[in-house]
Order: sequence, then C-alpha cells, then structure tokens
Amino acid sequence: MAIHERSLVEPERVLRKERLVIDGVDVSGDWNLIILPRVINDYDLSFLDEVLQQPEGKTILQCYQCSYCTASCPVHNYWDERYNPRHFIHLARLGLIDELQKRADVMWRCVSCHKCTHRCPKGVLVEEVLKAILRVMAKRGVIEEYPSKKFDKFFLESVYEYGRIEDGELLFGWIEKQGYEVVKDPILKKPIPFMGGVPEWLKQLAMKPIKNLNIDFLILNAKHMLFHPKTKDWNRFKQVLRKVMDEEGVYAH
Amino acid sequence: MAVAKVRKPPMGGIGKRVAYYPGCSLEGAARAYDVSVRIVAKELGLELDYIEDYNCCGAMETKNVTFWGTMLLNARNMSLARRQGHNAIVAPCNGCSFSLQRAEYFLETDKNVLERINSLLREGGVDPLTEIPHTYHVLEWFYHEAGPEKVKEKTKKPLRGLKVANYYGCLYTRPHFYSRTYSHGGGNEEGARPRMRETADDDEHPYYMDALLEAAGATSVDFEPMHTQCCGGPHSLSDEQVSEKFVMMILQNAKRNGADIIATECPLCHASLEMYRHRLMMKGVPDVDLPAAYFTQLLGLAFGYSANDVKLKDNLSDPLLVLKRLGLA
Repeated sequence: MAIHERSLVEPERVLRKERLVIDGVDVSGDWNLIILPRVINDYDLSFLDEVLQQPEGKTILQCYQCSYCTASCPVHNYWDERYNPRHFIHLARLGLIDELQKRADVMWRCVSCHKCTHRCPKGVLVEEVLKAILRVMAKRGVIEEYPSKKFDKFFLESVYEYGRIEDGELLFGWIEKQGYEVVKDPILKKPIPFMGGVPEWLKQLAMKPIKNLNIDFLILNAKHMLFHPKTKDWNRFKQVLRKVMDEEGVYAH
Repeated sequence: MAVAKVRKPPMGGIGKRVAYYPGCSLEGAARAYDVSVRIVAKELGLELDYIEDYNCCGAMETKNVTFWGTMLLNARNMSLARRQGHNAIVAPCNGCSFSLQRAEYFLETDKNVLERINSLLREGGVDPLTEIPHTYHVLEWFYHEAGPEKVKEKTKKPLRGLKVANYYGCLYTRPHFYSRTYSHGGGNEEGARPRMRETADDDEHPYYMDALLEAAGATSVDFEPMHTQCCGGPHSLSDEQVSEKFVMMILQNAKRNGADIIATECPLCHASLEMYRHRLMMKGVPDVDLPAAYFTQLLGLAFGYSANDVKLKDNLSDPLLVLKRLGLA
C-alpha cells in the first residue's frame, strides 16, 4: 500500500509552550495537540463515483501521479505552491474531502491554460478533471462560492439571455458586482464609464478613445451598450438550453 | 532556445473559402482584429464566409458551469456553418477556436454525446450534425493556404527594423487533444497523438506567426517560454492578482529581450495585456511599457494599408508611437 499523504503536523494544531515543566522534566517547545492516526480509514469512495459521472471527469482514473501537471502549472510555479493538481486528483480519488476542503481557497485559482492537460503522458484531461472535482465539491457544499465561479455564472447569464456577450456590459457589470459605484444614466440605466467610483485605471482607459478622437469606435461601442447584440431566433433554442442546464443543476448550486 | 526549427511548408488542404466565426469580441471592443483579418485575407486571396446569426461559444467560462450547455452552444454554430455548406470553420480568437475544437473532440470521440446533442439541436429548431466541421485558428489557415512566400510577395512596405515579440497565448497550441498540434519531442507517433493534424503548429515552439511576420520584414525576438505563458485568461477580471503577475512576466520578458511591440492573435490576451500594462505602469513597475498590436494589423501595414485602415487607434496601448518612430505608420 502506498504511503498516503496527510499532513500530520498542522500549524493550527501546534501548541507552543515557552516554559513547561511536568514532574520535574522540562518539556518546553512545540506540541502537537492531537496526533492523528497514520492509517486513513475515512475514505469516501462515493466522491470519486460522482467525479466519474461528470462528462469531463472520466479520465481521472488514468492518472499515475507523475506530477508532470504540477511541474508545468504556472499557478503552482509563479503564484502559490499549495496549488497542486496532482495532489488534488490524488485526494479526490481517495475521497479525502476534508483535505480537499482545506485547500478550497487555492483550488479555484486554475487559469485554464491547459499546460497540464497538454503534457500529461497518460491522457488525463487534467484541467477538466479539476473543474469536475470543483463542481462535485460545490454540489456537496464543501466549497464556498469563489470569484471565478461568480464570474462564470455572470457570463453564462449574458449568453443565455441574448445568445451573445457584450464587452462593456460584462466589464462594467462585473465592476459593479465587485462593489464599485457605477454611475448610470437616468433613462436607459446604462453605465457611464468615466464617472462615479469606477477604478482609476478603468477611467483612464475609457477616456483613451475620446482623447484619440476615435469617433467610430465610440459610436460602435455605445450602440452595443444601448442595444445589446442578440442572436436571432434565440428564444426556442434558449428553452432547450434552459432544460439542459436545469438537468445539470446549474442554478441549484 | 536551442530548438532546431524545421519549418513546415504551406500544405493547403483547408480551403480558400471557409466559414468565418468571428466571435462576440471581434464585433465590439476588438473590431480592429476583425477589420484587419478581413484585409489580410483579401490581400492573400482568401475568402471568409461570415456565419450568419451565430451565438457565443461560451468561451472559457460556461464550460466550468455546464458541460451540456457549452456543447450545445458550439454544436449550434457548427450546424450553422454546415448549413452554409462549409466543412472548415476559421476562428481568429483563441477562446472561440478552443471551444469549437473542444466540442469537436467530444462529439467525435463520444457517440453518446453526439446522439444527445443531435436530438437537442432538433428540439431547438437547428439542423442536426451529420458531419462535424473542423475548426482552425486563423493563423493556421493563413500559414497553410497562403504561406510566408505569398506574404512576401504582397508586402509593399516591409516592417524593416521592427522587433516583434510573438505572443501566442495558451490555447492556440494546447491541449493537443483539441488543437491537434504535433510535437517536436517525439510525441508524434500514432499512439501518442491520435488526433494529430498535419497542418497544426508545433506545440511547445509555435512559429506560424513568426514566419508570417518575418516574411513581412519584421524581426522576431526570442522570448520563449513566455510566448505561450498564460495572461490570466478567463481570470482576467475575477482574479486580478494572478493575472497581473502573469502579464508582468510576459511584458517584462519581451521588453528585456529587446522587443518594440508585442504581436497578439487573441482578443482576450490582447485586452488583458493592454489593461494590465496600464495598471502596472500606474504602479510604476519597470519594463512593462510595451505596446500590443494584432499580428494582422502589422501585416496590413506591411501590405500598404494605412494605420487608420487597420484601426490602430483602437489599441489602448498606443502602438502608433513606436510604429511612427520607426517610420512604419
């Protein structure tokens, strides 16, 4: 049996005693509050089954833990070492949900660059498998709503409603969701880019086409903001889309 | 990098007239790319047939939330392309070509997916897919249907003295399951890359953009491995810290290797680079002052079009300053 990873010493469990003398013996130092059993017996194999039921999760079983994905990963290499795709796959297969939960704050950070999937020698669709794991975690309620998922849903709403997206609406809608104050015109309720509490960098960028007198660009984007680009005959297709998404439980979690 | 580059000759086989899937961005904020793609295609004797009434491909976002919904969105676009009589779709955006190729992968490899999608398409009032069209990135199409020789022939005002950092982004060559890239490193045996396509670019060392711009007179600077490093992509808005760091790495690497300009081939990468460049400059980070332009804009200039024709004013990073200094615009 392989040695399963479980961090036995965790910072939050460590108890530091500057001066501790028991029965005349000096035992000052770091103490581990609870010594966890080395043998893992709380496997939850239903977690793996659920990942396998996701259409993209099927290849998870092919993984032989070579860690090529982790070695390629820009988030692991340049941002946070705790982001470790190989380990997430390992934990998901063992069904160690509490261990996955501990890493929930970094698990969503994948930027979908697909280096992992591309380089995997065993043909695991790593990026997709990780997204499937996240989805199952969300279903079980062990991960809170994270920023990228909020954005994904926000994006999906726009696609679902009109069949097309519009850059300005997406950008300012998201900025507003982040808690910035976006000034809107009183009649059409459309955002005015260079007013209000919009971040300074965005104001400056929004001013550039005006400074450059790029009139036709301004007209085009204003037109799109006022009249959202739409796909014709979208309504019938929209209903099918809705049905499919309800089956998947997109809006449920 | 120490990679012996054996460049492929243009092979053709995609078709001079293809279905054109511009994607939502190219009709809005990134219209400069759309305009310049059309100009370059016209000059190279190629024809784009706009897919009427298309819908969003779902980009990198919807696939994380709904598998079937995303498949359905892309299958609809494929079906529309088939209705216009095409077997090849060309998308200029990395995200769009990725989404369409991803749908192609699942539809081709999984019979159940194809069956279910077809019945759903019928329900939605769209023709079901009898044949699955292939999706190509616009770069692949230009390289194989026209090629560097043709670009050289058409060049009236060579981009002499312009040092370009060719930024390909992530999804142009990755993952090989979808983009069907081949590999220099021995991974091109039948078993290892079953879906490999002859016309696809090299996976880790792509060179199609280098070849086209070099033919137009520019000099490519070497900035591997950052040429395929992620810009933050779908997290450009939702995870600012990571995106900012990635863009900083890309821009600094290109600048320190002597580039005058960074050439892009994806509206999202382009927007991300320009947006974070501005923010980094506001923070006073050194060596990020590098303008970005679509590679088609640069080719358009070389073909004798004016800066106004290729909409260089739309670029928020002011490439005009550099190009004017070198006497190219």
